[in-house]
Amino acid sequence: MPSPSAAAPFSWLLAKEWRELMASRAWWVMLALTGPLVGLSFIGAVRSFSEMSGGAGGPAGLAEALTPLDGVFIPTFGAFDLIATFLLPFVAIRAVSGDIQSGAHKILLQQPRVSTRTMVAAKGIVLFAGCLIASLAGVLACALWTSYGGATSLPELVNLSLGHALHAALTIAIAVAAAATTEHPATAAIVALGVTVGTWAYEFISLGRGGWWEALASYMPTAMLRGFEHGLFRISAVLVVSAITLGGLTIAAIWLRIGQPARRRVVLSVMAGALTAAAAFGGAMIPGDLDVSENRRNSFTEREGAALEAISAPLRINARLAPEDPRRFDLEHGAFAKLRRTMKDVDIVYTSSTATGLFEPQGTGYGEIWYALGDKRVMERSTAEPIIVNTIIELSGAPALADGEEDSFAGHPLVAQPVGAAWLFYIIWPVAALSAGFFNRKRRPI
Amino acid sequence: MLPDTLHVTDLTKTYGALHALDAVTLSIRTGEVLGLIGPNGAGKTTLFECLAGVLPADRGSVHAGGAALDAKARADRLAYVPDGIAPWPAQTIRWALDFTVGYFGGRASERDAVVRALDLEALLDQPIGTLSKGQRKRTVLAIGLLMPQPVLLADEPFDGLDLRQSREVAAVLRAHAAAGRTLFLSIHQINDAARVCDRFVLIDRGHVTAEGTVDELAVQAAARGLTPAGASLEEIFLALT
Repeated sequence: MPSPSAAAPFSWLLAKEWRELMASRAWWVMLALTGPLVGLSFIGAVRSFSEMSGGAGGPAGLAEALTPLDGVFIPTFGAFDLIATFLLPFVAIRAVSGDIQSGAHKILLQQPRVSTRTMVAAKGIVLFAGCLIASLAGVLACALWTSYGGATSLPELVNLSLGHALHAALTIAIAVAAAATTEHPATAAIVALGVTVGTWAYEFISLGRGGWWEALASYMPTAMLRGFEHGLFRISAVLVVSAITLGGLTIAAIWLRIGQPARRRVVLSVMAGALTAAAAFGGAMIPGDLDVSENRRNSFTEREGAALEAISAPLRINARLAPEDPRRFDLEHGAFAKLRRTMKDVDIVYTSSTATGLFEPQGTGYGEIWYALGDKRVMERSTAEPIIVNTIIELSGAPALADGEEDSFAGHPLVAQPVGAAWLFYIIWPVAALSAGFFNRKRRPI
Repeated sequence: MLPDTLHVTDLTKTYGALHALDAVTLSIRTGEVLGLIGPNGAGKTTLFECLAGVLPADRGSVHAGGAALDAKARADRLAYVPDGIAPWPAQTIRWALDFTVGYFGGRASERDAVVRALDLEALLDQPIGTLSKGQRKRTVLAIGLLMPQPVLLADEPFDGLDLRQSREVAAVLRAHAAAGRTLFLSIHQINDAARVCDRFVLIDRGHVTAEGTVDELAVQAAARGLTPAGASLEEIFLALT
């Protein structure tokens, strides 16, 4: 932190927020719990990965599909999802509510050269720095995995970390906004957790509905995170989450201006909300993504991709599948998602008379998937990717692709035990965190 | 006659049907210690918070040198220390005072004198959250005295202090006023007010009922037939509120 001796008010605010974070029992508890949570996930993941790699005499073929991203890093970093959802909001709420409840906020407001935007920015920066410190547990897990001889893909790890960083930033913004707009920290906690539960409910309700429902659901925190976990970097996800994060912090700054009439703050909040929605909508419209997964899980094979990219005619697909039909889910998250990423002009429409597809009227051709390219049409029922790709390629007049092995991913199987991980995450980490917290309070009695 | 620093005009604040402040008009003069006196619920804290910009007023303005002051200009002139707060309870008094000087660009040269005058030396490394009510009051007052604004609004600066401490704090406040600081103090103890203030604003149920020195208030009360000539501040207060 900058030395506050001759610094500007913002430096003093940063230093103050840092001291307040160091004085926060909530943060030290979060830090202490991070180790065991990450450790629990990591140790379980390494053991499972080892078993699936043949360590327990399992089938050899299974190991070929194993990737450390799926097998180790997603479950290990999943601990940060729990922390961001259930622990971080309380740390963030304390950072805002502490000042309000103690009366410090009324004193801070009297510095005419510091706006509430600046105050919120200082809190956001320090809270994020606190998250980065907690994320050292993830770094340790990666280091341990490497020490076991495990393979790592830097693009995958960076992308996964970015997803969790965005999730943490979003959580901070929501919690800070909740604390600023409510009078009591308990109410703020209910609001913050309510928003999280609301996004889960929305995601659940939107499953299989398609259209805007599903498009919007893909920007809910857990769905957004899932994209990064799958090795897909989406510019739109970064922009949408960034816009919502900034929107939340802006609304917090508006409500911390307690000297302004509530009506004005409501109007400003509505305007900020509208601007955030517009920015998020604009961000969602921006195309561009990158499949950073080592096994190209979000893309067709290079040969398939090249063949599909060569097709310039618009592709129209009419899938007669109901929203809750599992085939529709498979297509939407598999072949059709890849088609949208690969081909320039794809339009996919689902038609059905019922929600489940179980009671569709006779003679409607339920289950048929019609592909139209120019004036040619063909029907296919399969949801298997190679069949869909060849259907489209043949429709374009090109010869179907022969089976090939050149694009297959060999995997990184590893038979290893999580040596030292239990000591590190269950003993050393929490003891170190609690000791640091204790000595910090001892040095500066609190 | 001291020049007027600030004119408060028509300041009004309502909570639903309750008129917390009803067209409050008063003047604050440079270098004076002005006492705001009124019974509980009279609107003293509301008046201070509206002036300091931490509570929105429905109507009214503050002028200085003939010009209306916006929120930023008001914050440049007015510092406010609320009653009953314990800011940054996890931090020490030393840090809170250093922070005040650094964050506000406050009166660094007066820091040690304020600490001595308010008898905080032995408590400097004590966390604010562990202080007694009187110690907290002196800490918050020290914060206010170190803030750079020329006018300090202090809400109940003697509340929680014993007689000796009240006298000492009154002397500190007088010394700061003598050095050019303007003080506007909300006080509900008449004796404390009489000890420290040059002039008084009497407020009752959101109305300013009188403003002036003890002699001026006595004349006003006598003119209204409420008190005999030469009445004490206590008698005047009871008559006018």
